[in-house]
Amino acid sequence: MKVFIVPPNSLILFDLVERFGHQPLSIMEAIGEKVNSKEIESPPLNVTVDDVKKGLKYAGIEVPSGIRGRLAVYGPLIDEAEAAIFMEDAPYMFGCVGCARTNELVKLLVRKRKIPLLELEYPTSEEEAKVVVKRVKEFLEGLKK
Amino acid sequence: MSQKSETRYIVIAPSSSITPDQITRFIHTMAVDVQIKETCFGVIVQGERQVVANVLTEVRKLDPNRLFSKVRGYPIGDGRRCRAEHGSRPGFTQLEKEWKDLPMFEVGLNCANDGKICELPKRKKLPISEMKRICEEVCEQ
Repeated sequence: MKVFIVPPNSLILFDLVERFGHQPLSIMEAIGEKVNSKEIESPPLNVTVDDVKKGLKYAGIEVPSGIRGRLAVYGPLIDEAEAAIFMEDAPYMFGCVGCARTNELVKLLVRKRKIPLLELEYPTSEEEAKVVVKRVKEFLEGLKK
Repeated sequence: MSQKSETRYIVIAPSSSITPDQITRFIHTMAVDVQIKETCFGVIVQGERQVVANVLTEVRKLDPNRLFSKVRGYPIGDGRRCRAEHGSRPGFTQLEKEWKDLPMFEVGLNCANDGKICELPKRKKLPISEMKRICEEVCEQ
């Protein structure tokens, strides 16, 4: 199954999803398609008209362009997702993936899809990490049934 | 780079005794058509999607729970990201943090593979006497 992950570029979640036999949906692949595309003059510093249209599908015109731009990348992944895993309060959720409003909208869009969803806290100790890995494993194994 | 091509990070957990050089040499001995870049945290492999997947499966066998992998958007040596060409690396702080935390997840994976019961101890209620002591302490300040 295709599993959408938040943070969308997490090494740990990407690896765990793949390790337990599912396909992670991450922004690395979505960005990869963009930066390797010859249609854009200097990727990823500019966007195409199609990107703007895609963004408008997920957020209104009054929403800041940064959020719409991000949703143009995240949105198709959410549409494609058959399950999702959120890891809240990851310490590296700043910079490009740190837009709080985008992340709120992403969560809303995922919840609207009513797909299986696992919500976790980023672990801070080995004991917490054990619980996180166990929960991810159980969730992903349950999806196969 | 074609759409069938894939670039992947293979990240070695700090608790592993494997070095990026060992992985690079191991992949070279597989004699497959991939491009490899050795980095401080592991290696970056680029090639046909299926070939890269096969390489990853074999490399993982070296140290299954201490080698982690994810796809990379940019190809190896891309001028927009490669430091040799003054490219920026905005994602490196994240990769660094996750790399530092990999030993935690290794313990988690070992635990999950062994089927051990992993539960956090339940939070107990604070006794009233303790609560009273804290209140008095704060009020005195």
